[in-house]
Amino acid sequence: MTDNADLEALRSEVRSFLEAEKPHGWRDASRTQEDFVNTQRDWFAKLVKAGYAIPHWPKEYPGGGRSLAEQKVIYEELAKADCPRLLLSFVSTYHAFATLHECASEEQKAKYMPRILEGETWCQGFSEPGAGSDLAALKCKAVREVRDGKEVYVVNGQKVWSTMAQFADMCLLLVRTSSEGVKQAGITYLLMDMKTPGVSVSPIHQIQGDEEFAEIFFDNVEIPVEQRVGEEGEGWAVAQATLASERGLTLMELGYRMRGALGRVAELIRTHGHQEDRGILRDFGALVSEVDAVCAIADQFLDNRINGVERIGDASIVKNAYSRALRAYSKLGVRLGGMDEQYIAPITFGDLNTGNWMADFMNSYAWTIAGGSEEVQRNIIAERMLEMPREPKSWVL
Amino acid sequence: MIELNELTAAAQKAFPADNLSPARDASWELVAEMGWLMIRLPEDDGGLGLDREASTAIHYEMGRVLATTPLIPAQLGLQAVIESQTLADRADWLERLSAGEYAPLHMLPAKVDIAADGTVSGTIGGVFDGDMAVAVVAKLPIGYALIPTDADGVELVERPIWDLSRRMFDLVLTGYKPDPALMLSDADGATAMHDALGPEAHLALAADCLGGASAALDMTVEYMKMRKQFERPIAMFQALKHRAADMKTKIVVAEALLWSRARDEQATRTQIAGAKALASDVFQFVTEEMIQLHGGIGLTEEHPCHLFMKRAMLNLQLCGSLDSLNETVGREALAAMA
Repeated sequence: MTDNADLEALRSEVRSFLEAEKPHGWRDASRTQEDFVNTQRDWFAKLVKAGYAIPHWPKEYPGGGRSLAEQKVIYEELAKADCPRLLLSFVSTYHAFATLHECASEEQKAKYMPRILEGETWCQGFSEPGAGSDLAALKCKAVREVRDGKEVYVVNGQKVWSTMAQFADMCLLLVRTSSEGVKQAGITYLLMDMKTPGVSVSPIHQIQGDEEFAEIFFDNVEIPVEQRVGEEGEGWAVAQATLASERGLTLMELGYRMRGALGRVAELIRTHGHQEDRGILRDFGALVSEVDAVCAIADQFLDNRINGVERIGDASIVKNAYSRALRAYSKLGVRLGGMDEQYIAPITFGDLNTGNWMADFMNSYAWTIAGGSEEVQRNIIAERMLEMPREPKSWVL
Repeated sequence: MIELNELTAAAQKAFPADNLSPARDASWELVAEMGWLMIRLPEDDGGLGLDREASTAIHYEMGRVLATTPLIPAQLGLQAVIESQTLADRADWLERLSAGEYAPLHMLPAKVDIAADGTVSGTIGGVFDGDMAVAVVAKLPIGYALIPTDADGVELVERPIWDLSRRMFDLVLTGYKPDPALMLSDADGATAMHDALGPEAHLALAADCLGGASAALDMTVEYMKMRKQFERPIAMFQALKHRAADMKTKIVVAEALLWSRARDEQATRTQIAGAKALASDVFQFVTEEMIQLHGGIGLTEEHPCHLFMKRAMLNLQLCGSLDSLNETVGREALAAMA
């Protein structure tokens, strides 16, 4: 149990660190993907050294063993100081960590965990063109064979929407090893080196010019059997550990960042001389309260988790509330900016509230679509919280 | 110290969810018996001395049952007396109001003129349940005043409203001569009084809105699970269940803001006004959806959908409209972000 005095001590410790070390001008230094990646690597290394990069890891790792309340303090301060979000290392420190920590063998843990702290990055090979919201319908095929005297899975198929796979060293991969029985039963979980022969990565050009995601193609890729996590055919359960890894800190952090970025809307109002436009002031006022409410619900969500009283569906509410507010925020920016926003301006990689309003508006769709679409979250809210009946499983054309 | 959940449980027992808009006079007696009239009266003055969170919890429960009894204007009227530096018989008034006499704060603007001889003429809007009021707490250009309803030049005129769960009156003044002994503040003190009462009114109304919205959602969900079309409950259709999910999301998010403001002693007047704006907007949204999702029955007088919708529409206007509150929040945020 951490008491308030300890939390406040941690808060001032983080603040002093940030005052001395926080990167300045990182937005300007993130105009190309390469520069963005370098900025991210530097900042991650600094945070690892300071002990703030992996507060959620167990205490045997330096900087680990922090309570959720302490993690919240660290993330609040990072957001308030407007530091870069840790995007490049997100999958490795959350998804890969949770998978390894909860489901992997001791050998696998010993091999990969330290490498994450040294900056090795991971991507997630989950979604496929035919398996998005319905992830268990995935088809990427793995056949177990003996090649050159070694047992391997030979993988063929395609993954899509893999965040920053083009920069990743390793991949958390879901493959189909059987098509018998229910679709969840034939899924196996593998850890793959991205440099394995037969793997090719192709970035996805998003509508705002960013390339945050990539496709991964597998052409007879041989993955040693020792790289499997859990038993063959039991990958779906392991995948749940991966997907549950994020503890709600991201949305709290993003909420605080959006609140900080409301100043950008205020700037637009002044630049365009709308200070006395009552209609615009109303819309701005409504947005301010909406963003405050998103911060309040994200806070409450984390407090409920800390106190062990979280309910199913709570996370879906926070996600939908944040993503809708982000849409409203960026849309108001586009509207107030007028024609100025229709001329292409440089984008900033890795930030959601950049002040390039068209880019921010388009980017906001990532939050209503990725990570469980808005519609999937609505199903969870309706079926799990409001206990409404599910739709029948099968249908006939 | 009374725990919040005990307070909520007591309220739900006294005002059960299946009895919407319970009779006003019996409710008023019950409310007085529960001590809620003195909920914010300091213990030294004989009250319960509870905080904003506690009164917010009570107003939330009263909103859930579409309460007919005017607890919000009563609490605000009493708070004006508590805040008053000028009222001659302050202790006497506190005792009378705690014991169940009713002196409401008006919830809509006053439009009055002061004549050269100091008499006041005009209309004080938004006096709830004026028929049971002994006096009205009114904001006059010369300051806040207690205006006895039986004084010369004072008339209560009922204004029938669409909202069937409440009764509203205008206090019409014709050459009314304010009693100096009944002044709650002078003109200079009126701003401080207004600033003290505003957040209380906004928290109470926001709670009323979200209690109502949450009851409206519960009824809608229950109906959607029971009502069958095309051989299945309509709650099974994604097109409809997604709307219920959005209702839930909006309510929960607005509630998070309400509670965070109610607990935060540093919250500004404008931040609390923003919580009322959001809550009233959500209440309206939820009741519109409630009617649509109930289909034809939602349009009938026999079904309570319309009671929720009408209350939501009135709440939008009380103590600042949605537009004016949003404008205030926007203006202040803009200034703060200079």
